[in-house]
Amino acid sequence: MSDFKVIGQRVPKVDARRKVTGHQEYADDLRMPGMLYGKIVRCMEYAHAKVTKLDLSQAAKAPGVVKVLGPKDVTQKGYNSGVLDLMVPEPVGQMLGDIEDQLVFTDHVKFQGDAIAGIIATSEEAAERAAELIQVEYEPLPVYLTAEEAKKPDAVQFTPLKPGNLAFALPIQMFPDGAAYAWGDSEAGFAEADLIVEETFTLPKVKQCQMEPHTYVARYGDGGRLNCWTSTQMPKCIHNKLARLFELPMSRVHVIQTTVGGGFGCRLGMIAEPQVCAMAMAVQGKPVKVSLLREEDWLGSESRHPGKYKMKIGFKKDGTPISMDAHWISEGGGYYTHASGVQFTLGAWLAGTYKWTNFRFKGDRYYTNTTPCGAYRGYGNPQNNFAMEQLIDRALNQLGIDKVEWRKKWHKTVGDDGWCMGVTYASCGLDECLDKGAKAIGWEDKIKKYAKQTGSKRRGVGVAVMTHTSGAMPMLLEHTTCTVKINEDATAELIFSCSDLGTGAHTSLQQIGAETLGFPLEDVHVRAQDSDISGFDIGAHASRTLYVGGSAVIEACEDAKRQILERAATALEANQDDLVMENKKVFVKGSPDKSIDVATICYQGVYNWVMPDTGNWIGIPGQIQGYSSYFAKHNSPPWSACFVEVEVDTETGQVKVLDCVAASDVGKAIHPPSVEGQVEGGIQQGFGQSCMEAMIYDEKGLCLNNTFADYRMFGPSDMPKITNILVEEHDPFGPYGAKSAGEGGQVAPTGAIANAIYNALGIQFTEGPITPERILKAIKEKGLQA
Amino acid sequence: MKKRSISLTVNGTVHDLEVPVHRTLLQVLREDLDQVETKYGCGTGECGACTVLVDGEKAILGCLTLAASMDGKSITTVAGLEKDGQLHPVQEAFIEEHAIQCGYCTPGMVCKSVSILAKNPKPSEEEIRHNLEGNICRCTGYVKIVQAVQRASERI
Ligand code: FES
Ligand code: FES
Repeated sequence: MSDFKVIGQRVPKVDARRKVTGHQEYADDLRMPGMLYGKIVRCMEYAHAKVTKLDLSQAAKAPGVVKVLGPKDVTQKGYNSGVLDLMVPEPVGQMLGDIEDQLVFTDHVKFQGDAIAGIIATSEEAAERAAELIQVEYEPLPVYLTAEEAKKPDAVQFTPLKPGNLAFALPIQMFPDGAAYAWGDSEAGFAEADLIVEETFTLPKVKQCQMEPHTYVARYGDGGRLNCWTSTQMPKCIHNKLARLFELPMSRVHVIQTTVGGGFGCRLGMIAEPQVCAMAMAVQGKPVKVSLLREEDWLGSESRHPGKYKMKIGFKKDGTPISMDAHWISEGGGYYTHASGVQFTLGAWLAGTYKWTNFRFKGDRYYTNTTPCGAYRGYGNPQNNFAMEQLIDRALNQLGIDKVEWRKKWHKTVGDDGWCMGVTYASCGLDECLDKGAKAIGWEDKIKKYAKQTGSKRRGVGVAVMTHTSGAMPMLLEHTTCTVKINEDATAELIFSCSDLGTGAHTSLQQIGAETLGFPLEDVHVRAQDSDISGFDIGAHASRTLYVGGSAVIEACEDAKRQILERAATALEANQDDLVMENKKVFVKGSPDKSIDVATICYQGVYNWVMPDTGNWIGIPGQIQGYSSYFAKHNSPPWSACFVEVEVDTETGQVKVLDCVAASDVGKAIHPPSVEGQVEGGIQQGFGQSCMEAMIYDEKGLCLNNTFADYRMFGPSDMPKITNILVEEHDPFGPYGAKSAGEGGQVAPTGAIANAIYNALGIQFTEGPITPERILKAIKEKGLQA
Repeated sequence: MKKRSISLTVNGTVHDLEVPVHRTLLQVLREDLDQVETKYGCGTGECGACTVLVDGEKAILGCLTLAASMDGKSITTVAGLEKDGQLHPVQEAFIEEHAIQCGYCTPGMVCKSVSILAKNPKPSEEEIRHNLEGNICRCTGYVKIVQAVQRASERI
């Protein structure tokens, strides 16, 4: 399939010009007449406490204050900021046990930054000054930062619904084999193994650090309608959730998605929408804007799940991975949110990557007094990669087997069960990724060269692979609608709710629409982001927008195209099967002079009259619109291999990344620069998770680094040269052969850089991030290999 | 509240303003002049989202600069780099290299890039990376941003 006209082209992104000139509007840029400003009052001095007294009277009298709201002044209904409860059938939901344990404002503070009240004023400054006048007294409660502390029998219960503060464990009804995702008999596997490696890894609490802080505007008015402007990743799920929380019919809730200034999962579900909407309902008719400060955003929005990952692998001498047993225990923060989702998928990626003969995974999540954990790019996969890929390398060193060769031999492939059993892989280009990546980094030479080193600077190379997902099927609802409206001049509007987080999703969907319709790219306009206009979509998560949204676009455009051809067949008095549509003309195969312009058909569809002389319509009346309500038929995950070369300064502990090769099989790359961009950005985040990034709490549960100055990330000078190799293994299910590209970019770099450091020093780091301090400490304790 | 009268030129337009002495340039641009193209990312000088240009070439952080100290100065924001519908070579290069994802860092990045090239029209890759430190992008891994500055440098 090389005769694509638009697909695969490096066209400018749909929003690039607006963004580069500063004209793109983000939520904080919205200006409305009579706008008021809301401030969420958060408990900053305790991570766990009861509010014993809350006196808002002084704040209410402060200049510029319009209204103050305490817990009793807003809806008493609970909510769950995550969305998994919408995504599964009722009986499955019962088994998973998702709960609505969040309140708009609480009197039981469960983490530093929990919302206790709201202030609405005529300016942001007035609201902030009034917040200082609130008199609040707390009764401090014991702070639990680890699962061990939280599960003690005498621990304060976060909710009566989850005894023992165990928010989630894989439900036994779904996983009858001892509440574990399992096949075979892992114990029997270990009995047969020639080598067993075993370790407990510690994964850090990492923050998405999207550049646009969470900001919202809401207005309740317009005859009883709640309007909410938000840069959510999931406008239609928010639509549903807000309607439920405020007990309004969906027709009276209007969600307008503003430009997403970075997502990475941090806007998956609701963040402060409940608070801003509650404020708007208290000052009817007036728009209320709530802009989170950076340091507030850091604590008040969800993070990645940290935790302990116990892993045990058994191998035969020849490398056969005969048994895997893993247990993930997460410290999930103050509310339930994504407890069921991440704890399952983390094991799913473990199950989906390699051909374990016997397999067993358990995943638990405990409540702790930290910022709640939710979705962050990879949704469990990066945590899994850090542990799994390192432990495999430890074994391969002992078995004397090459790390690239082993991965080629034992990764799952076409026909094998995917990350969810029963849905098999339909395409896999991982061998090619490994071959090309190894060549590009000079794997064989470097492995030999770095085997014996002396001196204070040690180099190493590492590899890791991953597979991810393309959509949420089969676990969760996987549904997108698309309408394509054909204008009377034969241009088109694609209308859907698919979000573009900056990934290039809208550009790619525009390309797919243009390709399918056979229209030039500039004649296809993308219209999204308004719940009044577009139909259902589950939102931007699970790397699904291109894979599922793209298929919906194709189906809608084919529907429109079929209607055009039907009408052309009537006009040309020809059989529809004999027609060809090209360059906006329909002609009869073999007789190019027998043709009709698509524009004529579309024009007649809109402008049509019964002609007085004939009493007939001209052509066929009726505007052409194509529609699709698409449920994904399959899940074809992407694959990738990442190779990293590092130099570790053993005197300072500094790690310098010298080279990085990422080879990714994303199926057909619809918009190659967007795919490259996902890979490149993913590497920055993956390296960060493994080597620099972690939210740090003191023993009182107060965060010590909720600023960019104190939370270090890979900067422009830290980033190495990146060789970005795209392996476009056609997928039979994906739109034009495409698979996903969004999240996967982050996954393999986490394991690859850890393995490169291991290769350089001969020391494996089981606790992330691998900071210079940890490196120096380990060298001191374990010594360097000669 | 102490106020100062200042004259501030923004993208060629002169504004005579009374500003409280503690008000930042970023607040004046966004709140008082409704020029929202310059972004807030942290408010504490740590992310570069608020970068604007003084006298067309020197990058400063709007969130750390007191508006009162800018009396008589000429400020260029990313919107002011476009002249009569013609993009600045750095803006063109950002589009052509696909150096923009979510775009939230872009106004600051573009201004910073202009300042880098004003100082040295032919910077090495290392110099570009070094000078971009302080402007955070969480989307791109900086790869295409560095390439965009290199591409623009060929045109300036
Ligand atoms: S907003 Fe000025 S540096 Fe971040
Ligand atoms: S493009 Fe999103 S932060 Fe740079």
